[in-house]
This record gives sequence, C-alpha cells and structure tokens, in this order.
Amino acid sequence: MSGMMNRSRIAGLAALCLIVVACQSGTKQFTLHGKVMAKDETAGELTVKHDDIPGFMPAMTMPYKVHDRDALKEVEPGDTIDADLISVNGGKEYWLQSFRITSQSGRQNAKPAIKHALKLGEPVPDIPMINQDGKQIHFGDFKGKSVLITFVYTRCPVPTFCPRLSSQFARIHEDLVKTPDEYNKTHLLTISFDPKYDTAPVLRRYGLAYLDNHAEGFAHWDFASADPVDMRRIADAFGLEYFEDDNQISHSMDIVLLTPEGKVAKYWSTEWTAAELETALREQANSRADRRGVKG
Amino acid sequence: MSASSLRVGIVCGLSVSVWFLTGCTASHEHGQELFEFHCAECHEMPNSDLKKQPPKLEGLFRSKALPSGAPATDDQVRKTIIEGLGTMPAFNGRLSEADVRELIGYLHTLK
Repeated sequence: MSGMMNRSRIAGLAALCLIVVACQSGTKQFTLHGKVMAKDETAGELTVKHDDIPGFMPAMTMPYKVHDRDALKEVEPGDTIDADLISVNGGKEYWLQSFRITSQSGRQNAKPAIKHALKLGEPVPDIPMINQDGKQIHFGDFKGKSVLITFVYTRCPVPTFCPRLSSQFARIHEDLVKTPDEYNKTHLLTISFDPKYDTAPVLRRYGLAYLDNHAEGFAHWDFASADPVDMRRIADAFGLEYFEDDNQISHSMDIVLLTPEGKVAKYWSTEWTAAELETALREQANSRADRRGVKG
Repeated sequence: MSASSLRVGIVCGLSVSVWFLTGCTASHEHGQELFEFHCAECHEMPNSDLKKQPPKLEGLFRSKALPSGAPATDDQVRKTIIEGLGTMPAFNGRLSEADVRELIGYLHTLK
C-alpha cells in the first residue's frame, strides 16, 4: 500500500515537474485542421486555410513556419491536413509539425509552389502606385536610395503579422532619423494588399499612427496601394502570395531590399529582426557611395 | 418569519441568482468568444514587437473616458471597433452588427 502511495506520489511529482517545465517554457500545443493553399520551400512556410483553433486563432488563411524541411517536402498545395501547432514565447513564435495528410484530392487544382520571381540583381519594373497623399509614385522614383519594402493591409488583425511589420519599420525609421546622411540615402515603402479598403486617406491615417503623427516622415516612408491589376504585377515581381477570403487577406510575409539602382538586393520572409533589416538598408545605401568612389 | 418560510426564501433567492448568473453567462458566451478570438491576443498579451501596447480592456466602461480620451459610450467603442484607431486595425467588414453588439455586451462585463 505504502509502495503504491509512494509510486503515485512520485508519479504526481513527475507530472507536476512536467507542468512546471511546460509553464516555464510557455510551450502550448494545438491541433490545426485545414487545407494547404501554398508552399514556399525557400522560406520554409505553408499557407493554410484552417478551421478555428480554440485558444489560439480563429478560422483564417495564413502562413505558418515549418522547421522540418523533410516533412514540408511531403505536403503539397491542395492537401487537407491535420498538424500539431506549437506555440512558444506567449504566441510570438509558432510553427507546424507532425503532418497528417487526410486528403490529396485537391492537389490537381492547386496553385504551384511560391517562387521569388525576380532574382537578386534584377531590376524592378516601374509599376505605378498611389501613396498616402493620393499622388502617383513608381519604384523608379526612389532611384539613388536603397529602399526597404514590405507588404501589409491595414485591417490585418494578427499582431505578429502586419502590425509587427509596420511597428518594426517604424523602429527603423526612428533610428534613421538620427543619422541624417543615411536618412537621405534610404527610403521605406509599405505597400497594401487591399487597394479597395486601403485608399489614400486610410493609408495616411495608418501611416501617421506609425509616424507618431509626424507627417514629414512621409518624405522617408511611403504607404501605397496599387490597382488590383498592378498589385498582381507587383506580387508576381516579388513572388508574393495573397488572396482575399471573407474580408481577410492571407498573404506571405515578405520584405524586399532594393539597391539604389532599383534592383533586388535581398529578400526576407519570416526570419528577420529590425536590426538586421536596418543594417542591410544602411549598408546598401553606403555601398552606392563606395561604388561611386571606385568609379570616381 | 418562520424557519420554513426563511428556507423557502433562501432557496428562491439562490434559484434566482443561479438563473441570473447562468442567463448572463449564456448571453455573453458569443461575446466572450469574439473577444478571445479578435481582441485578447493584442489587448491581453503584452507584445514588445508592437509600436504601441494596446490597453487592457477590463473596466473599460467603469471610467467616463476610454484610453483614447473619448467618452466611454457604446457608440464610441463601436466606432473604434469598426473604424480602428491609431495602430488598432479596423474590423470593418469582419464583424457583423450583431457581433459588435455581442462584443460590446461582453466588454461591459469586464470589471
């Protein structure tokens, strides 16, 4: 009897230890059920249209990181899957693992895997956009400056997506203000996936919120949208994936750095920090001066 | 008052309380669900990656003014939910009128 009690005490303590460890690491596990809409093997991402995940996320379509590259190879767009969704650090980091493909019948009608269309060093086509002031702008307008571009929509409700991107761009902008030389050699550009809702006044209001109401900041950071046809051309140029579903836009998380000559210098997907982006932007701006120095 | 009538009174009182509590819970269940899906991730979990920390919503209607300084009225909260405010995204088109009412109803219960 006492042996049984000891065993149950030990089992209880072990369970308690496990709970404590789980609480300390903040790891939570959920089950995701949904349909794979897109796969980006380069970025290690799956975009999944999923059902409600109680306690984590309402039903929506969004990209998820997949660390297990071998598992990622097995899953294709169009597949219906169940997967474990692991969330750590209070939901700031999460990924999918342990895929169970429940149907492959959708593969034939699915879109091909995402590929970045423009290769590094290729020039960006001069596609027109409308900025927060209602003024037409083109990628070519920023020649002579290194440009960091990201893609959002203002109604995005997921804090780890568009609000994070805009917040981190704001951080970079605020840092660059402190170094006028590099401020003048760089530019930030936020492009909306949602031209129907994100009109110039909406973009202006959104931009001002991230610029602490300093409208002069628009000289260094444009917020723009393009008509749907041109937006599709922009998406094709940078290999972006996006689609509208129930008033929500699912999109890949991409950041692009352009050289002062208007060529693609670098892509980022989900693995980046504001400091890394800022360093790359500054280096790109200064490398132009270096190149001039060599030529001159 | 006899002991038996006191007992009946207590039982009735308890029944009414239970009915009231369960009735309230049921009517705000959807509002709570909406809150957890759409609001809690920003308003309840601090996120240092965001430019501005969204305010906690407990006691939202207990003060006269919202964190923005606007009057703490249903209409003002409805406007904020639909149109967004500052870095808070607009929920225009994503929540029905009925959803917004349910959500505001639940926000009233947060003490």
